[in-house]
Amino acid sequence: MRRQVMLLGGLCGLYELGGPSFCSGQAMRAFSASRPIASERFLHVTLDFAGGTLAVVPGTDGQLYGLKLRYDADHSTPVQQYDPRTGILRLGVESTGGTGLRVSSRAQLEQTARVEFSPDIPLVLYANLGAGDATLNLGNMTLTELDLRSTATRAHVDFSQPTRGVCKSATFTVAAAELDVHHLAHAGCGAIRVSGAVGAVTLSFDGAWQRDATLAVDLSMGGLTLRVPRGNGVRVTAERFLAPFNGDGFTRNGNTWTTPGFDQAPHKLRVELKAAMVGIEIKWIEDRR
Amino acid sequence: MRAGNRHAALLFLSVLIPAASLAAAPVRDGIGHVPERVRRLLLTSLLYEGGPAPQAVRPADSTGPSINPSRLDQPIRLERELRAALRKPLSATRLTVTGGTARLGAYSVGSAETIHGHVVVLEGNTDVHGRVEGNVISLDGDITVFPGGAITGDVLAIGGAVHKIGDGTIRGTVQELAAATIVPLAPPRPVLAQIFGHAAGLTGLLLTLTVLGFGLVTFGRPNLEIVSDTVAHSFGRSFLAGLLGQVLVLPTFGMIVIGLALTIAGALLIPFAVAVYVLLVLVTTIGGLLAVAHAVGERVTHRRMARGVALSPNSYRYIVTGLGLAATIWIAWVLFGWVPVAGTLMLTAAGLTTWSLATVGFGAALLSRGGIREHFAGRLIAPEMMTDEYLWATPQFGVPAVKRPEKKEE
Repeated sequence: MRRQVMLLGGLCGLYELGGPSFCSGQAMRAFSASRPIASERFLHVTLDFAGGTLAVVPGTDGQLYGLKLRYDADHSTPVQQYDPRTGILRLGVESTGGTGLRVSSRAQLEQTARVEFSPDIPLVLYANLGAGDATLNLGNMTLTELDLRSTATRAHVDFSQPTRGVCKSATFTVAAAELDVHHLAHAGCGAIRVSGAVGAVTLSFDGAWQRDATLAVDLSMGGLTLRVPRGNGVRVTAERFLAPFNGDGFTRNGNTWTTPGFDQAPHKLRVELKAAMVGIEIKWIEDRR
Repeated sequence: MRAGNRHAALLFLSVLIPAASLAAAPVRDGIGHVPERVRRLLLTSLLYEGGPAPQAVRPADSTGPSINPSRLDQPIRLERELRAALRKPLSATRLTVTGGTARLGAYSVGSAETIHGHVVVLEGNTDVHGRVEGNVISLDGDITVFPGGAITGDVLAIGGAVHKIGDGTIRGTVQELAAATIVPLAPPRPVLAQIFGHAAGLTGLLLTLTVLGFGLVTFGRPNLEIVSDTVAHSFGRSFLAGLLGQVLVLPTFGMIVIGLALTIAGALLIPFAVAVYVLLVLVTTIGGLLAVAHAVGERVTHRRMARGVALSPNSYRYIVTGLGLAATIWIAWVLFGWVPVAGTLMLTAAGLTTWSLATVGFGAALLSRGGIREHFAGRLIAPEMMTDEYLWATPQFGVPAVKRPEKKEE
């Protein structure tokens, strides 16, 4: 029997050389993991997702975390490691053979994952995204820190409702990726950092401002769009190289651009910008809260 | 009823019932669905062989399979180990469970029962009415925690599902790893469609190259001829130059951009320089390929003329003939590219051949500086190689050739 299977495998392998065939198919597999809340005081999550479509949403009451995954069983392995003593959780899917987030097959882009975190437990989220699409709805979560690393991913982050707790920082690193962040004001993060290369980044500071925001940007090649509700004060300190910035409506003083009445503005956004070959744009939006 | 008779009867019924279901077909969501359900039920009974008889799995010897269920965070590895431990018949399976026990077939924990330690259930469902103080793993079976039941540890169902009914509790992590489903790829295109598709692509490419070649002959014949002669006269040198040129294309591009970026005025020229550089590389590559086609066509035409065939030798003919010859291998791929293995080999061969020709053309274009320099075209003969008579009678450079090289004193 084994000999027959080997023979069939060999024939299929040969046939594969000639193009698509009946022998091949994607071995997709479903995996789910969840855990109820016990006595956790915080959750420190590393989320790895090599490729495919990812959704992160607030979970249901009583559930610490949940993962529903459909993955390419030939090239990927599900990851779920939780240590209740430390509150450290690793979730996601990674390439088989220890190649990390490298996407080695088209089937990996067919993967889907839905991840839920308890809105009640303070959350530190480190997300490493490979190729694909990612939607992170972090509204109403108790977010204390966010670090999103995105490579060749179209990532959409939305703080659809004000977050709870104190968000120390939100860091976004992009490489050949598209990043769209909405309702950043709802997150109320003390420091927001964006860095990377060859990416299109849009940050919308709409929503309920919980405190003044500081944004540090270090980008090379790409585009940066900041969407700020009208009436808020913005001060941009920029070190630019081939990075055109139209400072209409700003008062320029050396490398600093400031909106009129900055000191009296109800909310302030301070931007420290290092950009090389980046198109920079600040758009004023109406706050529709 | 004997098993064979039972199977035959069930199979007969399952074949008969579709006829009934056809009659009731219009009412798909109503009672018309019943025959289909019955048929499925019969087929299920027919195919179902029944699980193994519930029993404890005896521990393996020291070299036999063992498993440690204290951590369930590597379900794929656990599944591999468990499946490797299964034997035929299943009752021959031996498995050592660190800190727990293994069971074969359906397993139930009674409401008054408390199991201390991990539980591994193979090829059967696990029903928990009582309490399990440890982790629970099932292989090809569901895990159900009934009202009043409790599992204090983690739960992993491989090839099954986990259910909680009522106030049944699971304190740890619940994991379900389903069996793999094969999603078939899209069926391959019909052979004729493949052939027509490839043929259309090749025809379009050839026509484009022919038009470009005619344009080159019309507007840049001297340059084309010099590159073509360089190909014919310095084939190996052109190939090596082309190879080196391909290697240096990107570094040169990078150096130009960096060099321009370092100067304030030059930085503004970067977009222009990028466009010009890309255009130059494209023109050199395509022009070089056309020059190779020209050289091949010229050689073939001359040979045919030598055999007495009456032809009009001109560059247009050379281009068409050369491109036609270069396309021969691609035509073979168009016709037989659908054949497994052979098609791939043909594609590889055609690609390599075309790449080689393009490399030669690229190198010849570089060597001749785009058809300006004749040094490698075999058109110049060193004066010392010429006889006195030739030098006296033949103009060497330019139309009047008044600057004939001086005869060297011996």
